[in-house]
Amino acid sequence: MIRACAIAVVVAAAVLIAGCGDSDDGPLEVFAASSLRDVAPKVDRAPRYTFAGSDELAAQIRDGAPADVFLSASGTPVQELRAAGLVEAPFVFASNRLVVVVPAANPAGLNAFAELARPGLKLVLGGEGVPIGDYAREALAAAGLEAALENVVSLEQDVKGVLGKVALGEADAGIVYATDVRAAADDVRELAIPDEVQPDVRYYAAVVSAGDVERAAEFVRRLAREEGAGALRAAAFLPVPNRAE
Amino acid sequence: MDTLRLDLSVPLRAFSLDLTLEAGAGTLALAGPSGAGKTTLLRALAGLVRPARGRIAVGEDVWFDAARGIDLPPERRSVGFVFQDYALFPHLTVEENVAYAARAGAAALLERFGIADLARARPGELSGGERQRVALARALAREPRLLLLDEPMAALDAHTRAHVRGELRALLRDLGLPTLLVTHDFEDAAALAPRVAVLVRGRLVQEGRPEELVAAPADAFVAALTGGNLVPGVACPSAGGLTEVTLESGSGVYSTDAGTGRVGVAIACWDVTVAREAPPDSALNHLRAPIASLAPLGNRVRVRVGPLTAEVTAASAERLALTEGESVVASFKATATRLVPLS
Amino acid sequence: MPSRAFGIALWIALASAVLFLTLPVLALFLRVPPDELVAQLASERAREAIRVSLTTSLVAHALILGFGTPAAYLLATKRFRGRAFVVSLLELPLVLPPAVAGIGLLAAFGRSGLLGEELGALGLSIPFTQLAVVLAVCFVASPFYVRAAIAAFEAIDPRLLDASRTLGADRGRTFRRVALPLAAGGLGAGSTLAFARGLGEFGATIMFAGSLPGRTQTAPLAIYDSLDQDFDVALALGALFVVFSILILLAAKLIPLWTRSASISPFPFARSRST
Repeated sequence: MIRACAIAVVVAAAVLIAGCGDSDDGPLEVFAASSLRDVAPKVDRAPRYTFAGSDELAAQIRDGAPADVFLSASGTPVQELRAAGLVEAPFVFASNRLVVVVPAANPAGLNAFAELARPGLKLVLGGEGVPIGDYAREALAAAGLEAALENVVSLEQDVKGVLGKVALGEADAGIVYATDVRAAADDVRELAIPDEVQPDVRYYAAVVSAGDVERAAEFVRRLAREEGAGALRAAAFLPVPNRAE
Repeated sequence: MDTLRLDLSVPLRAFSLDLTLEAGAGTLALAGPSGAGKTTLLRALAGLVRPARGRIAVGEDVWFDAARGIDLPPERRSVGFVFQDYALFPHLTVEENVAYAARAGAAALLERFGIADLARARPGELSGGERQRVALARALAREPRLLLLDEPMAALDAHTRAHVRGELRALLRDLGLPTLLVTHDFEDAAALAPRVAVLVRGRLVQEGRPEELVAAPADAFVAALTGGNLVPGVACPSAGGLTEVTLESGSGVYSTDAGTGRVGVAIACWDVTVAREAPPDSALNHLRAPIASLAPLGNRVRVRVGPLTAEVTAASAERLALTEGESVVASFKATATRLVPLS
Repeated sequence: MPSRAFGIALWIALASAVLFLTLPVLALFLRVPPDELVAQLASERAREAIRVSLTTSLVAHALILGFGTPAAYLLATKRFRGRAFVVSLLELPLVLPPAVAGIGLLAAFGRSGLLGEELGALGLSIPFTQLAVVLAVCFVASPFYVRAAIAAFEAIDPRLLDASRTLGADRGRTFRRVALPLAAGGLGAGSTLAFARGLGEFGATIMFAGSLPGRTQTAPLAIYDSLDQDFDVALALGALFVVFSILILLAAKLIPLWTRSASISPFPFARSRST
């Protein structure tokens, strides 16, 4: 009986030790924004990816989640981690456009971005702090469509949540990244958002200081090089805008 | 008072309960082995079980008529039901239990049954005898036209039972309602009701006064139930219009009853006398055998002599100084016997 | 002695389990000082979330009790063909992942769902409304109540119900005066558990009703939402949940004890007089 207990304790300890600490020989842990779900494995199939809203991922990293690389859909989550000394200097590796999506059947009969302010519409956006949500609110403000915010029926935790509600036909419209439409092409139609009001979408890549810095840096470099950039382009991501930072 | 007329058929697991019965004012006890369908009969009368076929009427009111599609629910039948474990509502006081059917007469009933001082008590705090009284009071509060009692003595211990029997019999007699009570214990049936019917495997086998059932059981079942003597043997006609029955032991007994082939000789225990020698009297039947057992029963003693059980007064047993193993003679008259055909 | 070591091992296992289960709860309260917790609860976010949670949970609970009690009574007292099947159906939400429940609710009551057209004709649009939250809560919490209610009604001696009928009470009166009071303990315990489950519902709600502060964002949704932005609000709501859960547990334990002793004596926890 004692032996059985002792063996159990040893095994448990081994599992625990193996679980924590740096895994030099394990796969790279990449925390990436939801909108990168389809393209990230095309850039590099090797790492283990965790996709979620960028703000949620940042919170997890702050709480000590074992990430090596953080790919964020906007600057704020990354800056906060940088200020806390948790990530190395980030750099922008891609951009994106916003589009309006409506269900394939277009129950509300929407034809233009400006119509989002029409009363009685069921609009779904990303929540506060979720990059797609903040970008969408920027675009609406830039277009003078604050009234559209009255139509919001749900604030989702990530862009997939927004897309899901529209794809299921329950919401009349949502604002997502152009790259997301491919995933749900059969269930949604897209409406363009004018260039003038498009927000400055920047995807940031950062190496997590507490992780496997060397391999992480290598991954991030691959993003910037032709193979990474090519995959991103093929998925309709936009190249880095020519602005400072 | 109304007459209960019933004629019904209820399929049970192994057989069908099938009977026709008429009962006027007064108590009829239904005795029978467990599983004979006694409780089912009561439940059918109360409306808790639906017979497959038949008719139940009390006086002019038809409670159930399969042919005409009438089936009154229990609350619309004027029936009082005393359940086997009394089924008193545990969350209500005695007073509230009795008043459940009718608030008006509750106080009077509590008085009548001598439980007025228990009014605030809960069923869980009462003794068996007290609970029976509450159950009766509760059932009668409804002023039912038919009273049903399911094994009224079963939930009582032996001491209370003896004490309660007489009271209950008197109470039922005073009520004068058509009353049906069922029991597996023939002694209880005999003590509580002037008429007893025997129910075996769903059929009414015999009906009559308790003494009749003991002395002249219609068949082996009844004999087994009443606990009277039933001695097996082979019968054939004999001189003087009598029947001689040869018992298994080889002895012969005479009976005024007619019979042939395999029969059981039924004699009431109190018709058998015990003596050291065969008494020089008119009794034709004398059997010598050792006393197998002596069982005192209050002021009587049951003496088992060979295949027979005799019942004598305790005084007589003492006078004769009867002891186990002693060889004695059991005597009984030919006229006191009945022959029951055995298959 | 091996027997002694076994005993010690048992105690170690218990201590580990207790520590593991209570540490997160304790940590919740230790991380933020109590006055800060209370202040956070007063914030608009928290107040709105609590309001939405309470409103929807109470309405859902009323529905659960209103429909669940008679349904459970029928299932407990009447044997009919397919009864076991019906009971299994009612227990289905217990084993369904909440998100799946949410999708199911959309598929049934959503705009493009099975009843979408009929509901639309009646002018009813359910997703993204408080009604959706109520329905989601009903769906996941009702099996807890119905199961307990069936057990509570089944525990009643059927002869008591028969006795009531023979005393002139019809089925309705028998239910009110005999079945309900006798089942009260079990019903109460099941009710508190169902309420707690409903209050904590997340997956089905977020799928079916979405999340909008002040309208459909219940406390669990608010906790999740504020985790990255406003951690202190999340903590405060979490702590509130802990307190509430403890109360629920206590209620679930005490109610059956109280009602059982009440059926023996009028005073709770009093000894019963024996003859």
